[in-house]
Formats: sequence, C-alpha cells, structure tokens
Amino acid sequence: MNAPDGILCAKTHEWVLEEDNNAVIGLTDWAVEQLGDVVFVELPEIGSVFSKDEVFATIESVKAASEIYMPVAGEVLEVNEQLINSPELINEDPYAAWLIKVKPSNFQEDTIGLMEYNDYKEEVE
Amino acid sequence: MEIKEQYKKTFLYDEHLKCGAKMVPFEGWLMPVQYEGIIKEHNATRQSAGLFDVSHMGEVYVKGKESLEYLQSIVPQDVSVLKEGCALYCQLTNKKGGLIDDLIIYNVKNIEIEADYFIVVNASRVDVDVPFMKNEAVKFDVEICNKSNDLSMLALQGINSKYIIEKMGVDRKNQPGFFNIKKVKLDGVSVLLTRTGYTGEDGFEIVFENKYALQLWNKILSFKTEFFVVPVGLGARDTLRLEAGLPLYGHELNEEYTPLESSLGYFIPADKKEDYNGKELILAQKLKQKPLRRKLFAFVMEDKQIARNGYEVFIDNQPVGVVTSGAPSPTLGKNIGFCMIEFENLSKNLVTRLNNPQESLGMIIQVMVRNKLYNAKLTKKPFIKKRYEK
Repeated sequence: MNAPDGILCAKTHEWVLEEDNNAVIGLTDWAVEQLGDVVFVELPEIGSVFSKDEVFATIESVKAASEIYMPVAGEVLEVNEQLINSPELINEDPYAAWLIKVKPSNFQEDTIGLMEYNDYKEEVE
Repeated sequence: MEIKEQYKKTFLYDEHLKCGAKMVPFEGWLMPVQYEGIIKEHNATRQSAGLFDVSHMGEVYVKGKESLEYLQSIVPQDVSVLKEGCALYCQLTNKKGGLIDDLIIYNVKNIEIEADYFIVVNASRVDVDVPFMKNEAVKFDVEICNKSNDLSMLALQGINSKYIIEKMGVDRKNQPGFFNIKKVKLDGVSVLLTRTGYTGEDGFEIVFENKYALQLWNKILSFKTEFFVVPVGLGARDTLRLEAGLPLYGHELNEEYTPLESSLGYFIPADKKEDYNGKELILAQKLKQKPLRRKLFAFVMEDKQIARNGYEVFIDNQPVGVVTSGAPSPTLGKNIGFCMIEFENLSKNLVTRLNNPQESLGMIIQVMVRNKLYNAKLTKKPFIKKRYEK
C-alpha cells in the first residue's frame, strides 16, 4: 500500500494531509485491513464543525460499526460523496478514498501528537 | 493484538493462519473470523462451497437403557419419533420454560459408536449443558459423556459439497439424506457424516477424532480449483445463518425466552405426552392458552443503516425492545436482522396486531442507530429461500 508523502497518522488510525491550507482526512490502510469489507459510510454534513478527537463519521464493515475521530479540529468543507454508493472504494485504496476535507482551525498545534506514516506503521505492527 | 494463553485452539489453528485467517477470541476459543473477506466467503458458500472449522462446538454421547426416556424429559420435542440414522432439532429447556441451549439430537442406535444418541451443542453452552444434562440424568439408567475435547468437526456447506464428498469416497447414493447421519469412510478416515448445517444451503457436517483434522481439512481444500471451495470464518457464518433465519444462542435465545417467544413454535409438538422441563408454560403458549410475553421478529432495514445487536427498537416512537442480531445481507444487498419485542408495556391492540402474522408482516418499526431512528419493516424468516436437498 502506497501512503502519500507527508501524511500524519493518529493513534486512532486516521490520516491527515495538508493540501492548499486545508486538511484531507481518511482512514489508514492498517485500520481498513482490520475492518474487512466496508459496507456503509456515514459522513458529516458540510459546514459542521468538530473539535480534535471528536467523532465525525462512522464506518460499518460486515461485522461492526467503527467510529472515526477528527485528527485535527475544523469545519467540514467537502465530503467524499463517492463513498455513499461505493463504500468498497475504502478497501481498494484508503488513501485515494479520503473521507472529508476540512478547514482546520489549529492545524499546527493539533498535529503535534500525530505520527509520520513510518512511525505509525511501527507502532501498530 | 496480544493473545492470552487461556484461549483454547482447535487442531486446525495453524492451518487457519496458513490460510491467512484473522483470529479472534470467541466463547473461550481462538477462532478464524475471516480469511479473504466475509463477503467473498459468504458468496462462495452460496455459489459453490465453504469449509468451516466448527471444532469448538460441543459433542455429547448419551447411552443407556433409558436414553429415550431421559431425552424425552429434557427437550420439548418428541424424541420417540426420531428414527435410527436421523436428526432432530431440539432445545434444552429449564423449569421456567426458558432456553438453556438449542441442539441437534441424532439417533445413532444403528451406528457403531459408544452412544444411542449423539448430540451437538453450542460451544458457548457446553459448560452449562453438560452439568445440567448430568444432573438431569441421575433419575435414569443413562450415561452422559462429554466428547467435546476428543472430537473435531468440519462443516462443508454449499451446492458443490456433495461432489467433494463424492470425490472423497462416499458416492451420491451413499451420502446421508437431509437431516440424516451415517458412519462412513471419508478419504479413508472413519467419520460421522451428517446432512445438516447452519447456512441454509445443502451441505454436510463431519465429526471425527482430532488427529484427522489436518488431513480432512487439507483434502477438502484441495478441491479449490475443481469445486471452488474456500475456508469460511465466523463472520460469514453469522451472515449466512442470519439470512437463513436461524437463531444464535445468546442473541435470539436465552434462559429467559421460551421457544415460542423465540419463534421456534414450529418445532414444539402440541401432543407430546411425556413431561419435560418447562412444559406447562411452553405447551400453554403453543396452544395459545397463555400469552407470549415477548416475540422475536425478523426485519429488513428500509434505510442504508445497519442495525446491530443491542440497538433499541421503537414502534410509533415508543421503545419496545432490542435488536438481537443484525448485519448487511450480502445476498439481498439489504440490511437485515432479528429483534425481540417485549409485550409487557404495549397496548392490547398493538400486541394483538403483532401476534397476527397477517398484520405484523410489513409493519414498520424503527431502530435507533447512533441516536437517530430509522425505519425497518417486519418480514418473514428466512430472508432467503433455503436450498436443502431433500
């Protein structure tokens, strides 16, 4: 699995990537592997505001529902509409299948505790 | 994940790892929850064949002059009608009519094993069932032997199962018929071969001494390219049984629910003469002389949301019960489940409607998913047409 350069990962298995001063958020390949077949994704409404570590989405696999936490605080600018009808895209490539794009409110401070991908991989494996 | 030593492993543990299984704790055992993926495994079982390690299940031998009298006293079914070489789906009930377990009883008097009746029980209940059964046995000339540690068990399910069994030495005309059991040589190994399962598909369950587990597992999987058989984990076992409308102990069945309340009334005879534990309430409910206190219903979600075990169920915004099992159905492409609706606080009118299938089928209920209510429709079980070969 090719994780894009520059992503930062949370202990709760979300990744965040800074892009044009906004933040793209998704779920790591390790987390997706643990979940198995993703069958449903519940995404927030555009314009809603979440603090860091707040639940912003739910991903359902065949077996269970998993809550997804904000790696950084911010306002939701965009959600990945493709996932509503094709949740399996997350299994195919969890880095292409981002969940939401946010306007972060405190990116520098919020990312202090996050890990670079290689460190994250070491931590989970 | 750190795996603690206290979990039991089946004799196929290493084989599961070789097949890429993700192992999870299940009722004291480390079992494969999936190999390649639940949906793939589910579909393979529906379309060709799936192989399940079900060695965690319990096996009990019952032997003695009063075997029949004994069994008659512990299950609501009439075991006297069970012919040699045949199986009967039964429940173990308590004095209050609640369900201690559900089980399959095989009459094996015609088969050369150390038993008159062979019983398969749930893994989660072996430690409850065996002491209970032994305690109930003191009044009878009968011996109860827990064989769970000596025997392994495989389930081979799906339309291609019969061809695989044929290739392993038991041709089609010598295979047991639906809900029958035979002692046969399978790949040269002496096994009990039954035409039963937990998927709604035609298929077999195979019981044998632990030491043959590797040989039989690998032999069956060697037909992968010929008959498209794949190993299947507990994840797909759950979606398969749910689609087939089959209950799971601890979810649809427990010590508080009677067979009638858990929608097993079909399996309860109205005319069994012998006394059994909980007969008064079970029979009265069967004959509609006593009301059900609750009832199990099957439902299909109308929204994309998935109802899960434990989610609250509402009718007209009033809480009425809980989801006992829920999952996406790979076959139907919809989200399905069972729920237990408690009648105690409901209006008489609503209970009457729920008790009348003509009114209850199609009724809209709501399931609370993450603090929001979503519609679901009560429906008939099974969710799919069973494809047993009878």
